[in-house]
Amino acid sequence: MTRLNVNQILALCLALVAVGYLAMAWQIPNFPLPRPVDSDLFPKVLGFTLLGLSLLLFLEKPKAQDIPDELDPNEQAQPLLLRPWSRVVITSLAIVLYALLLAPIGFVVASTTLSFGLAWYYGYRRHGVNMAVSLGVVLALYLTMTKVMDVYLPTGILPL
Amino acid sequence: MEAFNNLMYGFGIALEPMNIAYVFFGVFAGTIIGMLPGLGPISALALMIPITFAMEPSSGLILMAGVYYGAIFGGSTSSILLNAPGVAGTVATSFDGYPLAKQGMAGKALAIAAYSSFIGGTVSIIFLMLVAPLLGKVAVSFGPAEYFALMVLGLTAVVSLSDKSLVKGLIAAVIGVMISIIGIDLQTGTERYTFGAAHLLDGIDFLVVALGIFALAEVFYMLLRGGGGKEQPRNAIGSLKLTGRECRDIAAPIGRSSILGFFTGVLPGAGATIGSFLGYSMEKRLAKDGDTFGKGNIKGVAAPEAANNAACTGSFVPLLTLGVPGSGTTAVLLGALLVMGVTPGPAMIESRPDVFWGVIASMYIGNLFLLVLNLPLIPLIAKILDMPRPLLLALILIFCMIGVYGMSFSVFDLLLLLGFGLLGLGMRLFGFPAAPLILALILGAIMEESMRRALQISGGDWSIFIDKPISMWLLIIAALSLILPLVKKAIAGARARA
Repeated sequence: MTRLNVNQILALCLALVAVGYLAMAWQIPNFPLPRPVDSDLFPKVLGFTLLGLSLLLFLEKPKAQDIPDELDPNEQAQPLLLRPWSRVVITSLAIVLYALLLAPIGFVVASTTLSFGLAWYYGYRRHGVNMAVSLGVVLALYLTMTKVMDVYLPTGILPL
Repeated sequence: MEAFNNLMYGFGIALEPMNIAYVFFGVFAGTIIGMLPGLGPISALALMIPITFAMEPSSGLILMAGVYYGAIFGGSTSSILLNAPGVAGTVATSFDGYPLAKQGMAGKALAIAAYSSFIGGTVSIIFLMLVAPLLGKVAVSFGPAEYFALMVLGLTAVVSLSDKSLVKGLIAAVIGVMISIIGIDLQTGTERYTFGAAHLLDGIDFLVVALGIFALAEVFYMLLRGGGGKEQPRNAIGSLKLTGRECRDIAAPIGRSSILGFFTGVLPGAGATIGSFLGYSMEKRLAKDGDTFGKGNIKGVAAPEAANNAACTGSFVPLLTLGVPGSGTTAVLLGALLVMGVTPGPAMIESRPDVFWGVIASMYIGNLFLLVLNLPLIPLIAKILDMPRPLLLALILIFCMIGVYGMSFSVFDLLLLLGFGLLGLGMRLFGFPAAPLILALILGAIMEESMRRALQISGGDWSIFIDKPISMWLLIIAALSLILPLVKKAIAGARARA
């Protein structure tokens, strides 16, 4: 069996999305009064368009720009937690944690910790500068948002 | 005379002390953000939206316009100093700017970039002032069918001019429209694609998508590429002064490229990138010393810089007069305006003259600031490029978070931001252009509304889109914009085989 190229794999994924999208479009309820165009028409057009485009993508030969570049072998040889894809995963997890802790511990603490922690994780080792910049920027943003623009940000554990 | 009086009215607004401060801040912030490789005007504008949210619309747009030209100019700085264009529109500048920097003439190249940007911007503002109201008068006669066709044209033009695959561009556009219709259908009150989540009833805010697809995806991409690439040693900046002969040499290229840039910017989908490349290649062809282009010719810096700034101003024409953005960047601007409660379009010149003429006047002031601010600060601003990349990436993340949370106060939106960041990374890795998605996201809801209104009027008869001549021609041009690149490619392929 011939191996599928990157465009064909993407096309199959997109076709699945299009089919799911169309299935949901058919479940959109009709408006009680008859109208020339109802809420489901546009989604149906979009679903079929995506399906058609997936077919075209399946037939399109991938070019160099369609295939992700090889990652730096030196970077790949690093310990698991410091490899390129690990950085993306850990940053994503840090964002999820930040989102969950923002209200309980407050904007200043959560944002400073995130900024300091990620800069440290990405390899910045001047901890004093890191803390000063992270705290300085976060405080400046916090004060601008709360005092100048009257936007409420959670104070959390700090009595700010 | 009427244009002059209106402009004076605009100056009255733009010269208010707070608005001057906003232009100054916008140009400064835009220059810095634009300098950072990977962060272009779209990211810069998206990061500014939370700040402009509570402002007067005229002040908000004045600030964002300043950010826009600042970001384009900032991109030139990193193009010239590091050969790392912060913005696609300044790629052409690096062809001759970086060789000049390597010869120890970075100061000269940066000064030429500043002067050319100033002149390019100023020339195109004059054109904008004269053309926009005329176009606005024509656009008043547009009905829903014409608007629908115009938006289709805007989308196809952006897709067809992208350097990536046409099919992938169209897929990105379709996904953008799909995202735009999530939530309650305002015409019937029906829920669509909300998956029963109350957070999705109002739809997905475009800021979440814009910051995710551009800024956060860029951070992820830099992380994959080893934290943003290796730092390069830089040569001394050198003198900023130009000789009389050099000024004479660059005068004509600046003039020609300014005009070319403006008209390129007006076309939907073109904008600064195409404008700068057209300006560069035109001057290379016209110059007697064309063979020295790419090796450090000052005309090779002047032409793309004048053209890209002129194109930025030109791209305001369809946005302000038709309410249809011609590029990803102006799509973000449109989104920001809608957030501020202003709907751009032909009626805006009459209904919100403060916004329209205030912005035009602020462009003059912004260009002046660009020159005054950038020339003396060039050596200082260049130091920002030395900021450690790990710290920079962490701070960009914080800006994204506060941008989203400060606007919606929703943890759900922060998670959505992450989702769009990962989607943007995937798009970038697999060669899907992001601009069509963001443009489609902004246009999607208006496009559907126009289509449905047109069909309501015609009683469901689809021929309304081809019965009206303007709508028909716009759709024909839209189809041609997709077909012509394919035909061109097929001919080139056949020639290569022959």
